[in-house]
Amino acid sequence: MFRTLLAATTALTLIGSAQAETFRWASTTDPQTMDPHAVNSAPVLGFLNNVYEGLVRRDRDMVIEPALAVEWRSFPVESQSAEHGWRFVLRQGVTFHDGSAFTAEDVLFSYERASSEDADTASWFGSVTDVEIKDDYTIDFITNGPNPIFPDSIANWMIMDSDWAAANGTERPSRDTENFATINTNGTGAFRVTERSPGIETVLEPFDNWWGEPEHNITRAVFSPIPNSATAVAALLSGEVEMINPIPVQDAERAAARDGVKVIQGIEARVIMLGFPHDHEALKFGDNAGDPNPFADLRVRQAVAHAVNVPAILQIVMRGTAEPASQLVSPAMRGYSEANAARPEFNPDRAKELLAEAGYPDGFSFGLKCPNDRYLNDASVCQAIVGMLARVGITAELNAMPVRNYWPELRADNFDMYLLGWSPGTFDAEHPIRFLAATPNTEKKLGSWNFGGYSNARVDELLPMIQTELDEAKRQQMLDETATILNDDVAYVPMYVQPLLWGVTENVTLTQRPDNFFILRWVTVN
Amino acid sequence: MADTGLDKSLVPAHRYPGRLARMWDSDFVFNFRKSPIAIVAAVVTLVLILSAIFAPWIAPHEPFNPATWDIMSGNSRPMVPNEFTGKVFLMGTDEQGRDIFSTILYGMRISLFIGFSAVIFAMILGITLGLLAGYVGGWTETIIMRMADIQLTLPSILVAMLIFGVAKTLIPFEYQDRVTMWVLILAIGLSDWVQFARVVRGTTLVEKNKEYVQAARLIGRGPGAIMLYHILPNVLNPVLVIATISLALAIIAEATLSFLGVGMSPTQPSLGTLISQGQQYLLSGDWWILVFPAATLLALALSVNLLGDWLRDALNPRLR
Repeated sequence: MFRTLLAATTALTLIGSAQAETFRWASTTDPQTMDPHAVNSAPVLGFLNNVYEGLVRRDRDMVIEPALAVEWRSFPVESQSAEHGWRFVLRQGVTFHDGSAFTAEDVLFSYERASSEDADTASWFGSVTDVEIKDDYTIDFITNGPNPIFPDSIANWMIMDSDWAAANGTERPSRDTENFATINTNGTGAFRVTERSPGIETVLEPFDNWWGEPEHNITRAVFSPIPNSATAVAALLSGEVEMINPIPVQDAERAAARDGVKVIQGIEARVIMLGFPHDHEALKFGDNAGDPNPFADLRVRQAVAHAVNVPAILQIVMRGTAEPASQLVSPAMRGYSEANAARPEFNPDRAKELLAEAGYPDGFSFGLKCPNDRYLNDASVCQAIVGMLARVGITAELNAMPVRNYWPELRADNFDMYLLGWSPGTFDAEHPIRFLAATPNTEKKLGSWNFGGYSNARVDELLPMIQTELDEAKRQQMLDETATILNDDVAYVPMYVQPLLWGVTENVTLTQRPDNFFILRWVTVN
Repeated sequence: MADTGLDKSLVPAHRYPGRLARMWDSDFVFNFRKSPIAIVAAVVTLVLILSAIFAPWIAPHEPFNPATWDIMSGNSRPMVPNEFTGKVFLMGTDEQGRDIFSTILYGMRISLFIGFSAVIFAMILGITLGLLAGYVGGWTETIIMRMADIQLTLPSILVAMLIFGVAKTLIPFEYQDRVTMWVLILAIGLSDWVQFARVVRGTTLVEKNKEYVQAARLIGRGPGAIMLYHILPNVLNPVLVIATISLALAIIAEATLSFLGVGMSPTQPSLGTLISQGQQYLLSGDWWILVFPAATLLALALSVNLLGDWLRDALNPRLR
């Protein structure tokens, strides 16, 4: 009897010590895929940054540093040909999680995969015309002109093992259907996925043969999506999880005051905006479904911009944690346009006048699409917008849905207006122009998130010039011009820069990066 | 009375009390007057139902009309002036500046409407099937009652969720918001008919062999007429009791479904939807968003239930 008890106690102690290094964290949504090239969204790329690696990566301050490439330089250098491009020298002795070696072949394969038509990441390679393997550990990216920010723009491009992909029939990513790579992983990163139950739990363990020097002390990390924000807070307060991202805006203050819990707050690079159906012929939802699309009229879009009371949203719904936004990027981004720093003022009377001028004195009814688990308080913000639009006489029928249904709905053009958040992966103002403002063009890999089909010839003309301009002042001038066009056209209604709010237990130290990526190898559990 | 030719002054007033007075003295009302719980429950139920019916006149504003929302009054505490607008709200406001008191009144309307409709639907279905089973007997009875037995083995909330889920997949997406309420009524009603059917069948089995039914059969009345005009009135007492208790259960079932997110949408919230929304603020200190709708649901369900309990005792001759 005594012996059994002793054995039981020992077993318990063992379990206890093993759990001490198990790190659990939660978020509102599950990464919708494990394929690093299928969906270009922060929850997916942020999660997979722990599993896969790119040629370069960002450090704690978002500065580019070597990862799978040890050095890189742009050419032409004097002695070489007139071709423009970048040469990467790869790290030697790196292995994938399944043990196979990493070589330039994998880089070429990952380029082909990530720039294929089915990939959501294709626009990162819009300027690349060719990729040449020089030797096993040297690879050249030829570009159609000088591309000073190319290394920055591929920081989230992750390298996949070519043999593994071929063996499992997943040479091409699939966005909305499943294939082998959407549930299985094989990267070179510091952590490998040991168990994956979509929507329930994903377990990671440190990869023993990782090339880097581990800074963390985690032996096992468990991620689970908790859609209900109150449940997530309760899990954090009870110690069931060590970290939640985000901690709901309404809970941050009280949680921070509790012993054992801290709130890490920052300003995210993400701008929350309203999008319009620029290229739709007719309204699709609401009582006026089938009527000509009123948002094609600039005055209607201006009316919306004047009707939305952003200061009130920030004060009440976001409880003072967010900053207003006047353009597609936040002031912290490179290339932010100081000349466009003013938001359209909140002026419901002006909005009504504009609607009357546009021929809608009695307003109209339309459908507003919104995610309800993607951005901080997204559904509440949309409800508030419904109220504000109602005050100037336009009736929005709100349809809020989980993000896994949301992107397919937007891709299928099922909206009359929608909410979108955009965080530039390159931390540069060029990024949203390429994704959100350029005329959609699959061949040129442009405008892939421009759901409303906004199109402006001058913007399309400026974009390649911005991409290849080396002179900072000239580049800024062109970025300013683009920002002015987008604001004059009311291509979008940028509203605010979303805050980063992470709830963490006191015994955990970690780093919060402004792109809201949670990097496990910077976590220490005490 | 004048045409009877009787001199009213000759008739002592207390011997022939009026209809109301006779009701006042009846066993039923006497029983009620002697039961403080029943009185309180009846008053609470009445107040809640009336305030739901008259919500448009009582509520300070119309919570489902977005044009009346004042977001700057959002997150107001109950009875504390808002820091920006200075307005005072009896039960506070939510994040959108909607007055909680008004949302409760309107939400209760939806809850009560669904509850009553579902019970009426279940009652009609249950009585019909129960009468048929009891009176016709044979295969009809076997099929109906075995179906009822099977359904009884499943928790009714699961049955309701199943029906709701199937209906949701059958109905095109764009109509779903408009028909949700009717689907809920159907789902809750279908999950609840068994109680009625069993009781009605049992009573029918007893009644159908009594003399008055045999007499009716002898004078040539058809089975339909016998069931409807002779048996049905005699089985209504227990049905009334079940209906009252079912109402409380139906309100709770609707709240549960809405709380789980498979019921009324946030744009047309019932009490359950309001509670599920308020639950998001449980840990943030904005307690009023959750507590007031929950307390209303509790009061409503409890008082209807207590009324039902009392009714069961009052109508049961064996307990007198």
